[in-house]
Amino acid sequence: MNAQACHLPRPQKVYLLSADKNLKDTLANLWDDGQLEIVHFDRGRGAIEVLFNELPDLLIVDNDLPDMPGLDVVNLVKSENVYRQLPVILAIREERLLEGAAWCSAEVDDLIIVPSSPARMKARIYLTITRASRAFDANPLSKLPGNTSIIQRIQEMIDRREDFALAYADLDYFKSFNDKYGFSRGDEVLMMSARVIVNTIRGFSGVRSFVGHVGGDDFVFILPPDKVELACQRIVENFDSIVPHFYDEDDRAKGYIQSTDREGNMRTFPLMAISIAVVFNVDGRLKHYGEASQIAMTLKKKAKENPKSSYVLDKRQA
Amino acid sequence: MVEDLKLERKDQILAVKDLPTLPKVLDEVSRLVRDPDSSTEQIAKLISMDQVLSAKVLKMVNSPIYGFPGRISSIHHALVLLGFNVLRGVIVSTSVMDMMNQAMVGLWEHSVGCALASSTIARHVGLKDVEDVSVAGLLHDLGKVVTAVQLPDMKSGIDSLVKAKDLTYLDAEKEFMGFGHDRVNAWIADHWKLPPSIKEGMSYHHKPQLARLYPEVACCVHLGDFMVRVFEYGSGGDDNVLYLEPEALKKLKLKPSDLEAILDQLSEQFLEIADLSFV
Repeated sequence: MNAQACHLPRPQKVYLLSADKNLKDTLANLWDDGQLEIVHFDRGRGAIEVLFNELPDLLIVDNDLPDMPGLDVVNLVKSENVYRQLPVILAIREERLLEGAAWCSAEVDDLIIVPSSPARMKARIYLTITRASRAFDANPLSKLPGNTSIIQRIQEMIDRREDFALAYADLDYFKSFNDKYGFSRGDEVLMMSARVIVNTIRGFSGVRSFVGHVGGDDFVFILPPDKVELACQRIVENFDSIVPHFYDEDDRAKGYIQSTDREGNMRTFPLMAISIAVVFNVDGRLKHYGEASQIAMTLKKKAKENPKSSYVLDKRQA
Repeated sequence: MVEDLKLERKDQILAVKDLPTLPKVLDEVSRLVRDPDSSTEQIAKLISMDQVLSAKVLKMVNSPIYGFPGRISSIHHALVLLGFNVLRGVIVSTSVMDMMNQAMVGLWEHSVGCALASSTIARHVGLKDVEDVSVAGLLHDLGKVVTAVQLPDMKSGIDSLVKAKDLTYLDAEKEFMGFGHDRVNAWIADHWKLPPSIKEGMSYHHKPQLARLYPEVACCVHLGDFMVRVFEYGSGGDDNVLYLEPEALKKLKLKPSDLEAILDQLSEQFLEIADLSFV
């Protein structure tokens, strides 16, 4: 693969903490098109306060700082949960590595052995940044892309005036299922729903598509406008035939469960169903991600009026 | 000593990495999966004709990786949840039965026949999950395949014992190994986290009266196994007609006249699948 062809998702801000002039120069010359904004600090102490106030996308720390061990800086930052997502690369000399440094107890995401060739350094930095963005935004349960990626993708398509259909799916009566059977059984249903949606969407080969997991029982998918209705039909059909298997035998036979409602009263609830609301962006109708979700929420209310699985397409478009 | 030996053999059996299938089945499934126009239904229908491929997709979809172990008993559902990419992986990693083991073609036919017979019975008595019964019927002799692959010496010993003493395959297994394929089925079903209905059908098909959770499934497979032998479709490894447990008929509330009706219905269906050739 040609490393030149790999573009970073957006310009990245990097803090470099090092007194090593060579390292600074190498880093500054890796990307010449402004993809990497480098803020340089000679010492550890001065950098920490800046770090705590404004997080970069990547932190590169020299193991040998003039005023304190590089690992102390890393540990200071990483011990705070709000800073833990920040990817950190430790720059270390080969001989220091052989000393058996305590870096194994530090929360470092990668190492660069200095001095290092620019090509190697570039690859390492690129991989660390992209790996962090993947890990950061994946839904912990389904491992599907989460909110940040979803919004980014939609806004990207809007900005390019690309035609697409955006579908919001969620489950009806999921809460009562969760209340009756417990969280882990609820998670099973979410995993199943994620698989049904992903495989149905992937079944449309040769088109640009996307599936994301907003969280809980909310999912999003994107397809070309002419494919979306068939996708909705298939998802509804597959979901409805599989979901009964996640109920206990007797509840399944009855076709409903008994659980407490929001007011704490015992009530009966139908088996879970899936509701899908579809918004279209054709001829650059939408300007902003927020419009899409606004329209979708209104449509979803309509889909929800039907206790069975159903989908609603944005009529103003069709 | 005997227990130690059994434990050792159980470990060997559960260490199974790959179960081979018949070349023709594998070719046909690979062809369908490559064809962009084929549907999940079509592929599921074909995979449902093969005990090894069916067992593999059920094992995979019920594995903890997917997050809902023991829930999926239908081949079609398994394919919907796994997706074509994973299915391609299953096919690529399935090997073809070698010449020597081609003798097992009869067992494939017997298994498909049993799936058909068991599900016909299930439909006749009005069971809700006919597909579970069909899958359990298809997999009821999987233990024989796994044993043949993992413990080939045992397989040849059992075969010669069947011939020499005219024993049923099950009795020969018990005499030679100390346990039968019904027990192997139970081990596999637990190890692979197959749903309880499939497990009971597979492991109690010789003693359906002992099934606790899904006795109807076990009874249907028991009766199905009996009927496919009556029709002499395929081979379960011996030429004996099985002992028919009267309890099974009672449990399914079947009268002799019902049996006749089912047999009539089956004979037509067997004529249809007789065209299906496995070699």
